[in-house]
Amino acid sequence: MTDVRAPGPDILGPPAPAAPGPPAPGGFGLAGWLKWAWRQLTSMRIALVLLFLLALASVPGSMLPQQGADPAGVQQYFTAHPALAPVLNRLGLFNVFAAPWFAAIYLLLFASLVGCVVPRTFRLAGSARALPPRAPRNLAKLPRSAEYATVLPPGQAAEVAAGFLSGRGFRLRRPEAPGGDPAGHWVSAEKGYLREAGNLLFHLALLGVLVSVALGGLFGYKADRLLVQGDTFADTVSALDEFHPGRLVTAADLAPFTITLNDFTASYIDSGPQAGQPSAFHARLSYTARPGGPVRGYDLQVNRPLSVDGAKVYLIGHGYAPVLRVTDARGRVVYDQPTPFIAGSSGNFLSEGVVKVPDARPQQLGFTGVFVPTAVDVGGMLQSAFPAPDNPVVSLIAYAGNLGMNSGPPQSVYQLDTAGMHRLSAAPLLMRQGQTVRLPGGGTIAFAGYTQWVSLAITDDPGQLPALVCAIAALGGLLLSFLVRRRRVFVRARAAGHGSTVQVGGLTRTDASGGFEAEFASLAAGLRSAHARAAGRPDAPVPDYSQTAEGE
Amino acid sequence: MPVNLALGHASNDFMIAALVIYSLSVVAFAGDFAFGRPRRAGAAARARQAREPSAALAGVAAAPGTAASGAGPAGGLAGGAPPAGTDSMPELEPPALRAIRQAGSWVTAAMALSAAAVAAHAAAVVTRGLAVHRAPWGNMYEFVTALTCFAAIFFLFVMVRYRAWALGVFVMGAVVLTLGLAETLIYTAADQLVPALQSYWLDIHVTAMTLATGIFFVAAVLGVVYLALDRHARRVAAGRAAPGNGIVRRLPGIEQLDRLTYRAVVFGFPVWTFGVIAGAIWADEAWGRYWGWDPVETWAFITWVLYAAFLHARATAGWRGRRAHYIQLLGFASLMFNILVVQVFITGLHSYAGVS
Repeated sequence: MTDVRAPGPDILGPPAPAAPGPPAPGGFGLAGWLKWAWRQLTSMRIALVLLFLLALASVPGSMLPQQGADPAGVQQYFTAHPALAPVLNRLGLFNVFAAPWFAAIYLLLFASLVGCVVPRTFRLAGSARALPPRAPRNLAKLPRSAEYATVLPPGQAAEVAAGFLSGRGFRLRRPEAPGGDPAGHWVSAEKGYLREAGNLLFHLALLGVLVSVALGGLFGYKADRLLVQGDTFADTVSALDEFHPGRLVTAADLAPFTITLNDFTASYIDSGPQAGQPSAFHARLSYTARPGGPVRGYDLQVNRPLSVDGAKVYLIGHGYAPVLRVTDARGRVVYDQPTPFIAGSSGNFLSEGVVKVPDARPQQLGFTGVFVPTAVDVGGMLQSAFPAPDNPVVSLIAYAGNLGMNSGPPQSVYQLDTAGMHRLSAAPLLMRQGQTVRLPGGGTIAFAGYTQWVSLAITDDPGQLPALVCAIAALGGLLLSFLVRRRRVFVRARAAGHGSTVQVGGLTRTDASGGFEAEFASLAAGLRSAHARAAGRPDAPVPDYSQTAEGE
Repeated sequence: MPVNLALGHASNDFMIAALVIYSLSVVAFAGDFAFGRPRRAGAAARARQAREPSAALAGVAAAPGTAASGAGPAGGLAGGAPPAGTDSMPELEPPALRAIRQAGSWVTAAMALSAAAVAAHAAAVVTRGLAVHRAPWGNMYEFVTALTCFAAIFFLFVMVRYRAWALGVFVMGAVVLTLGLAETLIYTAADQLVPALQSYWLDIHVTAMTLATGIFFVAAVLGVVYLALDRHARRVAAGRAAPGNGIVRRLPGIEQLDRLTYRAVVFGFPVWTFGVIAGAIWADEAWGRYWGWDPVETWAFITWVLYAAFLHARATAGWRGRRAHYIQLLGFASLMFNILVVQVFITGLHSYAGVS
């Protein structure tokens, strides 16, 4: 750092590197250019600019939907802005925090940080070994100073001062040969090396946070699984709905546990302005940590994940799964299972879903529609009045034809491709629980009941603990660097009359939390009473200086 | 547990009382500006001496001395002389209460009113917490009332500790304005929380964020006053008309204001950092990842980076003073943007503001 000199006296703190400003690099050759570039990079000004860029570059990541957090939002954006989206995508604006230009900013910032912190660490190590400087000649010129008289002779006065300051935890320096020099009775004292140490710890710990995040990206994994009440799954790649492994993770690294969802309950606030807001979720699981292991139970809640075999399982969503039974025109039951419906944006768990019946004959059948937990009729529109299943209703639109499942790109289970199908009836099929309706063209569909599902997130992030440790270290370093001040106190005693005059001077470089003024005042008062005590007059610290003054 | 309605009403009454008393304190602070006792010459001189101690003591040291100037290692001017019969010990400031009384009856009244208003405000926040059986910062309205309460407590401390009552009209004025807006625009009755907010880490994370926001609130008001003073000083230096001399004379010096702002940020920054870490721990418990660049997380990060930039700017040649304070205000703007825009209008995991 070439220009990180804080305002204030320069005599405290490490000497500035002998580089007043980057010279024009012309004529230096490649080495000269590199040196110039490095010096620029590690200057505070550039660090400041990089900090700004980092803040600025983060903004689009919060304004545009991001691939990692909200892939559906990205898809919507592509549909809504077909011309703009591909351009934004090419610029990496849908994945800002993994974009090369974002990485470039923070890597440059961390390079700048290393270039600044490493030399400072060496300087701190050097200054921790070195003694404080000799006391300046005229202490009254320091930012803080005090002066008083004592009856002690200068040598003894300096001795007492040294004892006092050392007792307050200061590092001392005494003259090499006191006595010979008439101005030679002095003490230099310094304290607060932890300030710079804390500052360095803060910056190094930030580096540690970055490394920990990278560690998680390499060796961790994230997975999602939707689990209907009563179902069981094993943590294997094929059983997971989504699997995002780190770069160095293989299928064999997955923890071999199995989980069964026994029961799920959600409670809701039923009155007041927050009516309909959830108040508690409980997903009662049974799980085994490894095949053949003992079966344990767990009450999974929001904010209360399950830790199993190094991985953590979180409750991140829930919904209803109506049990639908479809009989085709031949009279065969071709579909009979709970089908997860997903809560839409209209509120109160009005959920949308799709049913695909590829086994139906003569034509395949498909249904899209909604599950309404508490159905009410609002001006002819079906709406949900409450998220709990007080009056469950299913409303479906039936299609017949070719589902297109054997050709083309893989389909989502939550979308019905109606290109090869025709709608069976204009009006939707409305069913209460237990009702059966006939399908136009033969067959029936029954709303037999409903169950619930939860969506689980399974994560394993080996960088998590290191990141936490580094973050706490950074905070500790920050506090040290703000709370501790590095300060020097000097004492000089000169013969005056029958005793001596004691001068005290003090200075600090960066006094972030303030208070050196008060500390110096109390040190000066303490020194003075130490001298008075040593002179055997603890209650009369003011010696007779009218005589002293005239004697000179 | 059901909401305790009686306590909820008590909280509302305390809040109204706080608003009224805050307003009176602002009037008293303004009254000091208009009619108060001018700053005593002695106090002003002492303040000057504290700023330039070497100049103040130069006369003492310049007396002809006995100690021959030997080979002084540190160089410097002529050797120090024994004092001509006077000790010069650093002065300890008078105790806060006496200093307030000495500042005149307007200041005394304003400080007493501020303390009473802060007490009523704190009582409102605490009774709200007791009414809903949780930390009373679970929605936007509660967050604003709590952050202004922290700001007022912090600034009351600053006023006493640094004798900064001349700034009271600005900070307490901003507090009463914010509180009044919250009361009229986003009042939310006491109620329970959604499950994602029922965590032990909520208390820690949101408490730290609220406290840090309160401190940054004070820093931002001081920053605005700094910029106004700076603008005034530059106008004077340029020989142009600079209105408001009467007010400027009553305010602390620009350097002192700079230091006060810096200290506020130095206090707020670690609290904010801690709040972000606690939030990451909570996010890990609730959502299975400690950091996911959720819009609110992103903006908390932007705020952190901007305040870090402010701290660095103060140590960078050419960035001290005005520019540093612009950065600080930008940091506060990003914080406000996060609370008022991102949490309310941008969908993310933090959409709990309860102001729909």
